[in-house]
Order: sequence, then structure tokens, then C-alpha cells
Amino acid sequence: MDPILEHKQLMTRRHFFSKSAMNVSVGSAALASMTGPQLTAADTGQPTGGILHAPHFPAKAKRVIYLFMSGAPSQLDLFDHKPKMDEWYDKDLPDSVRQGQRLTTMTSKQKRFPIAPSKFKFQQHGNSGAWVSELLPHTASVADDICFIKSMHTEAINHDPAITYIQTGSQLPGRPSLGSWLSYGLGTMNRDLPDFVVLTATWTGRKSAQALYNRLWGAGFLPSKYQGVALRSQGDPVLYLSNPPGVDPTARRQMLDGLSQLNQKLYAEVGDPEINTRIAQYEMAYRMQTSVPDLTDISNEPKHVLDMYGPEVTKPGTFAASCLLARRMVERDVRFVQIFIRGWDQHGSLPNDISNQCRDVDQGGAALIKDLKERGMLDDTLILWGGEFGRTIYCQGGLSRENYGRDHHPRCFTMWAAGGGIKPGMTYGQTDDFSYNITENPVHIHDLNATILHQLGIDHERLTYRYQGRDFRLTDVHGNIVNDILL
Amino acid sequence: MIERITFLQTPSRRQTSPGLKLIFRLDSKNSRFVISISLPNRMSSSNQGLLIGVFVCYNEEESPPRLTHLLDHMPFISFRDQDCSTMNRFVAHFAIFSFLAFGSLCGSPAIAKEIDFNRDVRRILSDKCFTCHGPDGEQRQAGLRLDQQISAFAKLESGETAIVPGQPGESELVHRITTDDEFTQMPPPESEKQLTAAEIAILKQWISEGGKYQKHWSFITPTRPKVPTSDRAGFVRNPIDHFILKKLQETKLSPNPQASKETLIRRVKLDLTGLPPTIQEIDAFLQDDSPKAYEKVVDRLLSSPRFGEHMARYWLDAARYGDTHGLHLDNERAIWLYREWVIDAFNNNKPFDEFTIEQLAGDLLPNPTVDQKIATGFNRCNVTTSEGGSIAQEYLVRYAVDRVETTSTVFMGMTMGCAVCHDHKYDPFTMTDFYSMFAYYYSLTEKAMDGNALLPPPTMKVPTPEQQQQMEQYSTQIAALQKDIKEKLLAVEYTDPTPDASQELSREDFVWIEDEVPNGANPQGNTPWEFVSVEKKPVFSGKTASTRTAEGLSQHFFTDAKPLLTIGAEDMLFAYVYLDPENPPKEIMLQFNDGSWNHRAVWGDKNAIDWGELGTASRQYLGELPALGKWTRLDVPIAKVGLKAGSKLNGWAFTQFGGTVYWDKAGLNTITPQAGMQFESLARWDAVQRGLKGEGLPGNIANLIKIEPDKRNAAQQNQLKDYFLEKVYKGSQEIFGPLNTQLAALEKSKNELDQQIPSTLIMQDLKEKRQAYVLMRGEYDKPDENRPVEPNVPAFMPPLPEDAPKNRLSLARWLVSAEHPLTSRVTVNRYWQKFFGTGLVKTAEDFGSQGESPSHPELLDWLAVEFRESGWDIKAMQKLIVMSGAYRQSSVVDPQKYTTDPENRLLARGPRFRLDAEMVRDNALYLSDLLIERVGGKSVKPYQPKGLWNAVGYTNSNTANFTQDHGEALYRRSMYTFWKRTSPPPTMSIFDAPSREACTVRRERTNTPMQALALMNDIQFVEAARRYARRIMTEAGETDREKIVWAFRTATSRMPDEKEIQVIQKLLTTYREKYVQNPDQAQALLSVGESPREESLDVQQQAAWTMIANLILNLDETISKG
Repeated sequence: MDPILEHKQLMTRRHFFSKSAMNVSVGSAALASMTGPQLTAADTGQPTGGILHAPHFPAKAKRVIYLFMSGAPSQLDLFDHKPKMDEWYDKDLPDSVRQGQRLTTMTSKQKRFPIAPSKFKFQQHGNSGAWVSELLPHTASVADDICFIKSMHTEAINHDPAITYIQTGSQLPGRPSLGSWLSYGLGTMNRDLPDFVVLTATWTGRKSAQALYNRLWGAGFLPSKYQGVALRSQGDPVLYLSNPPGVDPTARRQMLDGLSQLNQKLYAEVGDPEINTRIAQYEMAYRMQTSVPDLTDISNEPKHVLDMYGPEVTKPGTFAASCLLARRMVERDVRFVQIFIRGWDQHGSLPNDISNQCRDVDQGGAALIKDLKERGMLDDTLILWGGEFGRTIYCQGGLSRENYGRDHHPRCFTMWAAGGGIKPGMTYGQTDDFSYNITENPVHIHDLNATILHQLGIDHERLTYRYQGRDFRLTDVHGNIVNDILL
Repeated sequence: MIERITFLQTPSRRQTSPGLKLIFRLDSKNSRFVISISLPNRMSSSNQGLLIGVFVCYNEEESPPRLTHLLDHMPFISFRDQDCSTMNRFVAHFAIFSFLAFGSLCGSPAIAKEIDFNRDVRRILSDKCFTCHGPDGEQRQAGLRLDQQISAFAKLESGETAIVPGQPGESELVHRITTDDEFTQMPPPESEKQLTAAEIAILKQWISEGGKYQKHWSFITPTRPKVPTSDRAGFVRNPIDHFILKKLQETKLSPNPQASKETLIRRVKLDLTGLPPTIQEIDAFLQDDSPKAYEKVVDRLLSSPRFGEHMARYWLDAARYGDTHGLHLDNERAIWLYREWVIDAFNNNKPFDEFTIEQLAGDLLPNPTVDQKIATGFNRCNVTTSEGGSIAQEYLVRYAVDRVETTSTVFMGMTMGCAVCHDHKYDPFTMTDFYSMFAYYYSLTEKAMDGNALLPPPTMKVPTPEQQQQMEQYSTQIAALQKDIKEKLLAVEYTDPTPDASQELSREDFVWIEDEVPNGANPQGNTPWEFVSVEKKPVFSGKTASTRTAEGLSQHFFTDAKPLLTIGAEDMLFAYVYLDPENPPKEIMLQFNDGSWNHRAVWGDKNAIDWGELGTASRQYLGELPALGKWTRLDVPIAKVGLKAGSKLNGWAFTQFGGTVYWDKAGLNTITPQAGMQFESLARWDAVQRGLKGEGLPGNIANLIKIEPDKRNAAQQNQLKDYFLEKVYKGSQEIFGPLNTQLAALEKSKNELDQQIPSTLIMQDLKEKRQAYVLMRGEYDKPDENRPVEPNVPAFMPPLPEDAPKNRLSLARWLVSAEHPLTSRVTVNRYWQKFFGTGLVKTAEDFGSQGESPSHPELLDWLAVEFRESGWDIKAMQKLIVMSGAYRQSSVVDPQKYTTDPENRLLARGPRFRLDAEMVRDNALYLSDLLIERVGGKSVKPYQPKGLWNAVGYTNSNTANFTQDHGEALYRRSMYTFWKRTSPPPTMSIFDAPSREACTVRRERTNTPMQALALMNDIQFVEAARRYARRIMTEAGETDREKIVWAFRTATSRMPDEKEIQVIQKLLTTYREKYVQNPDQAQALLSVGESPREESLDVQQQAAWTMIANLILNLDETISKG
């Protein structure tokens, strides 16, 4: 063992026990068990608790913020500009394009598949000349920091299996989520806050929104400590964080001191190291009682920062407010923050609903890029934006120039990534004139997940967990790193 | 002399190469075996775990072996224990090398005793070779298959032979694993599956000894092994202990002494019932000196109804029981009768073979009972969807796959899941095997889309005997009434007074609302409709009036009335109202719904009710309040409230601002015919009804009405006439009105009762079964037409009887047949896991070649045979285990034993671990006397932080919003908590309960700050502390000391010592001072939770004790079984 590290650990132990009023004799087994549980990043300066002793290769990204657009936004109205479609208005999608691919049963019985060109104007932005629709002016303003991947694809055709697939690598419930794989592999960098935090934002598009599922940030068959912790805008930000009415922090501290003394005494008699771990977890819980409110209190954020995120930033639970919290979390070494915003499932009245959704997400997402860049954190923070699949060029339901709907389309969709070692100002992959099939550089969702792990220093084929006689991994038996988009 | 070296390797050699090397060397000068460990230059905290597993057992007569470097680190380096269970799950390679005495050793590193294929070789081949040379034909390289002797010994395409028995030198395998040539080396360098020197040595020795293959141990039917003879006074209680002791003696460990009686009764009560012992139970046990004292306790606990609940909880994890569908909308599903069946089965000690057969195939038994059908809910517990756009075929396949995986995991300890897409890589499952199992579940009558329904078919109604009897009683009464009506009809003499139907109706009152809401309507309100009867309060007409007393705005209303009220030109809506002179309202309002509620008439204050816009139809002011204390008719011209001829009303609202108001008879003054009006003339009614197209009439009558009168036959005309006389004719309503009212009331009661009768999901096969095929790559739309499959069991397992029908019943009987190698082993292993924390086979879900080998193979087999031969007696098996000396040991962790066996696999000490999620909560409820001890029933919704369901739920889901229950529902055992699978109860998930989306046979046990927060602050636990404080203050002795002792003992089952009492006493004093100074805080603390506070107790004192109770409920000892 590194003598300096060992010394630090012993110091930590000593400090810890000096608080104890009771003189507990500590046996050698006790000593043996103590070199683990109370150690945290702050004590040692290294992540703790991960299964990987060291990253497989140097990590480009230390943190990830994943902005997830649940319900699947239309690539056709936001990023994947298809000017030729104007001439195709209300004409049928040619069979040569569809190639007999399966459709959802929502539109498979439609007599016609009339083309619905986007009603929104597109422009090229920045030096990179990326096409972005008028719905996302703020995002367009940071286009040069973004890599747009237009050739994402998946197999799942409905929301539940598709979102479960992109988040866990399997269409069926039961597997660990991306964030829990990261925690399992890399451990935590944090002594006061959870390693993997999830926010669910409010939305103003279609109210009848697709569901989310705890499994999307669940640990699956991994131990439950790796599951994402929800940071809530209602009630306690973290479940059960606040002391009950009539119990102030002093009273809680007194109780914890008593608890610690009694548990230590038990440990001395019984010798079960689990008791020691429990003592440490209570101390962490106590620290969280201070660190979480500190995290969520944005009263000290300067005005220009708040302005950057837009007027909704002070409204708890909005996407903008969630983005600001995400930045505050990554500043505090939370490794993985995921914001889910629902309301993108626009089978009808798409133009109206998507405008509202874009207003929800545009400014906050762009601000996150600018804010992190200003703080010098964008280079090692990976930001991702996207949904579970794309939407069809053909119209679902009634079609006019001004109003239309789109069905699910797994064969191509657009996501974007920024920071964390991803090439900025780049557009990757192409689709045909109908944004129906990929014509260049397809990126499967397993490829994206492999790339995310890669940026964090993990070989996706080597982060495995044996369960039911099989070595499972996030990318199942698939996944190729998208080297072309890496710096 | 070294007997054995065991080491736990780095988590996976494929993941990292830490630079650790073990070097074994014989020091012949000192007759000693030296192990050097070369460490990487720098060890960081993250790889300190490497050394934990190294332990060396040496002959006691000799001095210890020298462990260069090792001893420097050994005492200090350990895995965090919290990670131990975790670590060992991915510590894939727990290699055990057995080194024999080597007095005659000549230079060779070590001669192991004879190689055992299953023990020593299979794991190496499976891990390192089977990917390319295993059962999966598609991946197989060079035609070499190493999982079968015949192939391994055969000449290969290349002309070489992989294994030449007895001749390692001739064997290509040996050459390939020892060569340095990167082009021929095996496993290939890039595979990162390199063999260790020890593994190579084993393979060589195995081949030298003849390369004998064995079937994988778990696929061989267990036979009862001889019980070893060993003895140790005070330890050996039954055969289990001989097996345990033999192994301990082999490793030079000795068992702990028996645990104290307090510990023992706590342990066994928690293990058998899920609840801790009371002080009375502890005292009774302490005072019972008879040799059977412990056994008496065990027998008593086994017959407690809590036993069945506790056992059922584990089973429900395996059965993936939930109260919602689990996918997409995640609507509620009603299958709790199945949960009740499981509890009853355990409480009645249903033999495990029957338990299995009824769950898998109860519906196929001859003349199945209701209970046997309920049992089949086991395989209706899988997650289902009704997501718009889903493809039915895809889901039919997924459901069948889930059922195969669950059935095979639960009963056979293996998922078979790999064989969905390809032949299994490590076990001899083929795709054909998988889809043959799949075929058992592919022909069910269920639909692919669950319709988001509470009860997607097939389902079954299950009335209680009382409900059954009541239903029959209603039917009898209804039949009698109908007979009576029929007879009376015969007696009515009728002549149509005005057979000319064209005569006009006169304008009159049509009463829509009298004594109850109109037919079919759905009564709602700020509080439910309240009726007063004529005896006590003002009633204008009929039997009752509706009433309401309000502070501020309040209303009652209905919607969805059918038939609708049809409005004609210049009609007038009316209602009678009576205002209480003692408590008059400020304003009253009538409101009408024709699809929208925007039709309002107000009297009194114009603005107290601020809905709509004053002066428009949305808030029309019609005058002052009517006179107080008398009935007044309110008339509303339809035009004033924006209604016109042809408008149809389905709803009506009575609204008031403050006061007490009575409402009676309401309707429409009209000449427009209304469904439900009374008539003198049959011809006229007929004409009116034809105009209304029979709206509001029963279907058969409506059909008759639609026939032109002259085209009806006599029978049809008579049927119409009878209906008219019975329901419509003014002249006969005195006779039939009351009878019809009575009949309607009976039918309503019967219907209501019918609604209350619970139903549950069951299994049912299609009459014509679907043909199943092997699905290429597991894709639902790629059936391999060349490979049709019939329902069958895996080919490498014992076959079905020749004459067995191809259905689930044969599958179920096969699983519990005497020849089945797995079911009994897998089941007793899970029981073992329940008591000891870890199974004899640690990977309870995987008994295949990738799973862990049993720690005590003979014991496992002995228990498996014992279980089967006992008649699959579940309670007897529980008793056998808890009666063993191994179970009764103290769990005190001796440091040396810990170092030797951190996971306690050898059982040199008793089990100690944290309670499961449900037990943690039940324990707190029990200690605070809040727990409701009642078996069964629907799921309940106890406290849960606001917004959790809402944050994830599909907006239209019926579980998008959580509505907490009240009263007893807050304090049922946790197994009855409503389980929404996409957002499970948070205090359950936090303590490692699974989501119940998929079958789980082994829970992880973690230790996190979230758990600390929940125990400290969750309303449920704080309320429990408050109620526990009440018990401390009222049930314990007088002094603080007595109270502290009582409280500590109740929670931990043992007496506190002086130091513990001191710590608590000091804290108590602190809190007393605090709460005496801050009575508001004391009050606030005592207001947590819905259960009433005992007002006679002093607030500050109870607050102080509540904090002490909070402390005690958080003790490690309180939430652990020791």
C-alpha cells in the first residue's frame, strides 16, 4: 500500500474515533475492516467503491449530463433538414423508401402515408454550418460546440421498450441502467452527495405524456446502492432528507452521537464489520442533510448566470432549473446527472406541441454548454441530448401545411453531444431525403453507449457483471465506439 | 505441512492485471513450503482487495508457512465488508487448490490429490474455453468441442487430437496452453482469458489421470449421501451438523458455542415469522429449562399465521408478484388472491410438489378447485403491456419467454435465457430445448395486449361463501318479485283511453330528480350526496330531500345520466329549495351539464360564487335568495342559461356558498316527450317512444318499438303492452311502482355485491394450440419453419414419461419427479439462503456450470433427498434447519475466523445480517404496537412521499397519482403494500427489495446513507417512535432505568449493560431539557403520523422518549438478526 495513502486513512480513522465518548477497544479484525467503509473521495482524493481499480484507459470525461427527451422528439422538425420534402407535400411515401419495414400498429392500418414536410424554417449556424430549426435558437447559438449525430438508430418501435433499451441496453426490464453501470465501475468521487442523480422536469407540450420508469435509473441486478437517486423539486429534494418536525440539527447530531457510541460498542463485542459500515453511512446521511440543501439553494448564483438559463430557472422543477442544478452537481463531483423531460410524443398537433417543448428545453440546454465552458468544465463534462427514437416523415392523422402528426420511427433519429472529448462543431451521419433510412455512418444506441463508457475511460466489453451464469454488460454483445466523433 | 491453499483471485483477470503474482516454492532445507507474493510497486486503495481471500491452512503440528510480504499486509488489508457480497459476485474465479502432504516431494511444485472433473476442471474449461469450444454450435472453432468427452478425444479436422487420455505430451490441448507462440497459444492472447500456471497444472494432471469427464454435478439426480461421523459435544444436533463439522475440521476451524437464549429466540422468530420476540416470549423461553424448550418455540412459530406470510414474501419475489402491469401505462392489476393463496399454502403446509403443480398447471388438474385455479396466477404475474402501436406477436413471444425464464430459474436454478438467441455457451441447453419449454406457454388464451385492464382475461371470480350465499339470496328474492309482478300484470284490465296517438301532450312537470339521482348517473360532490328523510327534516315530496351544510363554496352534482333530459322550446327547468333560517347560505346556484357545465343560474349574493361571467349564461342572476324556512320552487327559463330546444342534459349540480340548504324534486316543465315519463295511453307512449327511437328503454323493448305497430305480431304487441302496464301506465303505478322500486333496489344490491366479489388472473390454454417454432436469433418474426417444436423438457434432462400429455401438467409433474436433479436441490438451497444469508450454492439463481459450486455438496444432496422423501414437507425442512447446531451458534465474529472465512460459508459461526426491507418496517410497526395482524386482502397504500408516482406515471394511467390510505391500511404488514412496479414503494427499494419486474431469487443486501435517512426521518418510522415512546411510558416500569431497559430489550431482545444504559440516560436528559424549553417542538414531533396521540401523556416527556425510541429503532442491532 502507498504509505501516504495508508497514513491518510489512519488519520481519518483516528479523527473519526476521537469523536467517540466511549473507549472502545478495537481488535485487529476491526482494524482490517476499517480501511474501507469510511474512506471517501475527500479523504483520499480518489474515487472509491468502483469495481475497476483504474479506468481501462485515460478518461476524457469525468462527468456526464444526459438531457433525455422522453417521448422521442421529431428529428425532422429540429435538426434533420429535408428541403426536398416541400415538393412532396401530401404525396405518398414511396415503397422504395419504406422497403416494407414494420410500422407501429397505430399507423400500419393507414390507407396512405402522406409526406408531411416540416413547417419550420431551418438555417445553418456557426462556422460549422450546422442546420438547426427556428425552434431552437439558443441551441443554434452554440452549434459550434455541438456534435450532431443524425444517424442514430434502434430496433424498438414503442416507447416503453425503446426507452428501456437506450437506458439499459435491453428492451425488457431487469438490467442495470447506464448510470448504475458507471457507479458500479467507477465508484464515487463524492463524500457528501450521491454519485448518480436523476431529475424529472416539468413540461408544457402534450400533457398526456409517456411514462418514465424507475428502472431507467435502476440498478437492475446490480446491488441497489448503484441506483440513481432522484433529486426532487417537491418535498424533500432527496427522500427522507429532512428531520421530522420538532427535531433540529442539534437534536439529530446528539441522537447520531448516541447511536454511534452504541453501534461501536456492539461492534467491539460482535465484530461484524457491517456494523462499522452502518456507522459510516449514518455519518454520510448527516452530511447529506447539509450538502443537499446547499446544492439546491441557488440564491447565490449571480444574475448573469440565472439570465443565461432563462426566466424559468427560478421555478423549481422546470427544465431550466434542472439544468442549473445539474451544473451545480457536476461542480460538486456528482459523476452522472440525468434530466428526463417528457411530452415529446407528438402523434398529432405536432407543430404546436413541439414549439412548447422546445421553449422548455432550448435555453437551459444551451446555457449548460456556455456555463460549463466559462468554468472550464466543458472539456471534461460530456453533455448528451436526445430521445428514444425518431419520428416518421409521413403524417399520422390529418395533414395540412400547418398541422400534422408523426408516428414512431426507430430507423433514424438525431441526438447531440457536447464536451467530454467529443468533436465540437460537427455533424455526423446522414439520412436519405425522407429522413427514413440512414445513408452514411449509422450509430446504433449500443454504439452510443459504448462511446459514452469509452469517454469515461471504460472499455464497454470489459465492464461486466456475472448474473445467472452470464457475464452481462451494458452493450449486451454489441457496440462499436464511434471513433470519428472523438477528439 | 500445508494442506490447502485457497485464494480468491482478483475480480476478473480479464478486467485488469494488477501485477500480483503468487509463487509457490519448496524450501527443502527447512522442509517448508514458501509462498511469495509479488505485489505491484504501488498499491492503491482501489486494489487493496486483492489479498483478502488468500488464506493458508497448515497442519497444526507444524509452524506456519512463511508468507513473504503477505503477513505485512494481511491484517490490515481487507475488502470493505459491505462490498464482500458484492465483490464475490464478480469474483468469478474462486479457485481452490488442494495440496497434499509432500514429504516425498522432489522438485515438483505440488501434487494434488486426484483431479475431480466437476470440482477442478469444469470451471476452467467453461470459463476459458467453452466460448469457442463449447455447446454453442454457431461459435464453435476448429470443430473442437471440449464439453463432451467424445468430441474432445476425437481426431480434429487438423489431424491433431485435443486430448489423448493419460498422455499430456500427445495432447494438442496441452501443447496449445503451454506454448509461447502467440499464433498457436490458447486461449488466444487477445481473448484475455489466459490460464494461470495452476490452471495449466490442473489440466495437465487431469489428462495424465485419464481425462475423465463427468456430467455437471447439478444435472445428476441426487442420492442420499452417508452422513459423516463426527462429533462435538454441544454442537451436533442433527445430521446437518455432521456435514458442517466435517468441513470445519478439514479446515481446522471449530464452531462457535451456542448463542444465548435471547439471541436464539430472536433469530428463530425473525426467521420463521419475520417479527421479533416480545419480552413475554423471551422470559417464557428463559424460564423454560426443559430440553424441549427451543423445539416448543419452533413448533409454536411454525404454526403462527405470520409464518405463512413471511415465507410467502420470498416466494413473491420469485413469482415477480406486483399490483400493476409493469409496462407502459402500468395500470393496476388485481391478482392479490394469488398472494393470499401463497400465504395459505405455506400456513397449511401444502407439500412442495402440490404447491408446484398447482401453480404451474392447477387449471389442468382433473376437476380443478377454485384454489387450484387461483394458484395458476404464478405465471400471470409477468409484466404485460397495452402500449399503443405495439405488435401483438412480439409480446406473445416475450410473455412466453418470461414464463420459461421464471419457471426455470425458480425450479431449476437456471434461466435458460441464453438459449433464446443461440445454443447455450456453457450449459448443454440448445435452442430447441428452450423453444420446447416455450411451447408450454405459447398457447394461452390471454391476449397480447392487457387492455390496461384491472383484470385482463382469463380471470375468475372468487366469492367468499358468505358472498355466494348472499348472491343466491338476492337471485331468489328477485325471481319471487318478478313472479309476483307477472301475476299482477295478468290481473290488470286495460283499455286505451285515447287510442288516437296524434293527440298533443300538455305542458307539465317532468320530474328528473326525486329521492335519488337519475338512472345511470354518477353522483359526486365536495362531499358525498347526503339525503334526509321525511321524519326529521324538511322534505318537499317523495321520501327524501338532499342536503348540504357548507363553509364557503360547496356542491353536489351528478353526470352521465341516461337517458338524457331532452329540452324543448320555451321549457323551464325547476327545482324546489328550502333554506335553513338558522344558517342561511349567502348564495345558491343551479348548474346544468349538456357536455359543458357553463350554464348557471344564481340567487342571492351575485359574486360569492365566482364561477362564470356575471350577466351571461355562464352566471345568470335570477334574483334574491328565496324566503328562509319554507319550500320555494326555483324556475329557470332555458334561454337564460344558454340552453335551447334540442339541448340534452346529462348532469345537474346543486351549489351553495355557506349555510344549510335542502333540495328536492327537480326537473323540466315541458311538452317534449321524455324517456321515463308516465302515460295513460299505450298508443301515445308507443308514438312518443318511436320518436325517441326507444332511448332509455331496455334493449329488447327498444327493438320492438322500432318495428312499425302494424308489423308487430301478437306476441310482440303483448310484450310491449306488458312493459307499458308495468313501467309506464299511470293507472297501474300504484301497484307496480313500489314493486319496481323494490326490484331495482334488489338488483342494485346484487350488482354492488357482484362488484365487490374479487377476481383474479388465471391460466387457460387455447383449444387449438399455436404451433411453436425455434425463433431465429430469438426474433419474434423469424420462426424457423424447418424447426417446429412441441412442448417438451430439455433433452439432456431425464425424459418425460412416454404417455405424458404435452401440457404444463406434465412439465410440473416432471419438475417434482423423483428423478429430477434440480428442483429439490434448488429449493432447499433457497431455504438455506433464507436462514444463513448465503445458500450452500451461493448463486441461488444459477446451478449451471457458470454458477458456484456448493460449499457442502453432500449436505446439499442430503437435504434435497430428505426434502423429497419427507413428502416435500416445507415446515419440516424449516424445522430441520433451525434445529441444527450450525444454526444455533453464536454469531460473534472472531477476528481469525473472519479472516479465514469472511463470508461465513463454512459456518464456524452463526448467521448475522440486516433484516430485509419488509422486516425492517414490520419490526418498527410491531414494536410500536401499530401492526395490524390480519392475513390477506387487497393491497394497501401506506405513507409515501408526495409526487413519486406522478413524476414517472403515464398521465392517463390509473396509477399516475398516489392516494394514500388511512386507518388500519397504514399499518398492515409490508407484504400487503401496493407494489407499483415502475415506481415501487420507496422504503422497500431503499432496503434492497426488487422492483418485481422480473423473477428474483436472491436479494442483494446493501448498506447506504439512504437507508439511514429513511429510518431516521420517514413519517412511518417517526410515528412508530412516537407510539413506541407511548409504550415505554405506559408499559415499562416507573423509573427511567426501568423504562430504558424495557425499551432496549423490546427492540434488541437482550438486556442493555451499564454503559448502554448510561448513553441512553444521558441522551434522555438532554432531550428532556430541550423539549421542556421548546414545547412547540415537542408538540410538532408528536403530531407526526395519523394514529392518535394519548392525550394523558405529558407532551415534553413523550417527545423526549420519542427521540430515544428513534435512536433505538435506528440501532444496528434492532434492524439485524444476530
